[in-house]
Amino acid sequence: MKTLMLKLEPIIWGLFSGGMMVGGILLPVFVLVVGLGGGFGAVDGQALGYDRIQALATHPIGSLLLLAAMALPLWGGAHHLRHLWIDLGGLKSDGLVGALCYGVALVGSLVAILAVFRLHG
Amino acid sequence: MSTSTPRVDSMKPATPGPTRTAPPRPPDKFPSAGRYPAYLAFGACGAFLMISALVLIGAVWAVGNGEAAWNDYRELLSHPVFLVYHVAAFIGLTWFTLRLFRLFPATQPYRIGPLKRPADAVMVAGLYGLFFTVLAVGTLFLGGALL
Repeated sequence: MKTLMLKLEPIIWGLFSGGMMVGGILLPVFVLVVGLGGGFGAVDGQALGYDRIQALATHPIGSLLLLAAMALPLWGGAHHLRHLWIDLGGLKSDGLVGALCYGVALVGSLVAILAVFRLHG
Repeated sequence: MSTSTPRVDSMKPATPGPTRTAPPRPPDKFPSAGRYPAYLAFGACGAFLMISALVLIGAVWAVGNGEAAWNDYRELLSHPVFLVYHVAAFIGLTWFTLRLFRLFPATQPYRIGPLKRPADAVMVAGLYGLFFTVLAVGTLFLGGALL
């Protein structure tokens, strides 16, 4: 098991660091335009209309960007929250918190893949 | 000059027993002093990464369910809870990313592949430029001002 984890380490760290970079660069755009612009009604209704958003999301580049922006930040965020918990509360409940954080990241990633596949179905 | 035999095992305990290691404890004045609050806030921004990714998954799922579901989702975004969250998330994610990029040079080796690493200021300026360019172009594009 230890050998397997050592072999997987570059992939795992890739998920964490990729999550920080991709999430930090792409998610603010989504939050600003869809979350704030759409929520406050500041963005033109046609720009966020179903036909345009569906066309963007089903474009190969759009699907790839969406998949990256959905799945990777879950891993980066899970890693940060787990270590925040260790910093504040020690290692006593790390097994539970780590499993919870990475469990959400794993399930969320699978749902993200499914969500993108559904767009093309 | 001393003629005594050197004691190379001077740290060896006289009798076998468990290693006397002090239990781990937080640094002095943790978490309120110095850079600790910023360090913890940086870690807490992981929540914005996770929640915003889940909100985005909800958006893509709604698009997959058809026009009515997408319109319902957009309606949901105008709820005060979502508005407050998105204001906090935008501020938090922007601060998180800029701090990550400011600290980035400290993680890089002396040489990056065959090249000598650029100056720290050049790396930080490039990453800041990338962030603001993607934010501006992405906002204009997704908001319908471009194309």
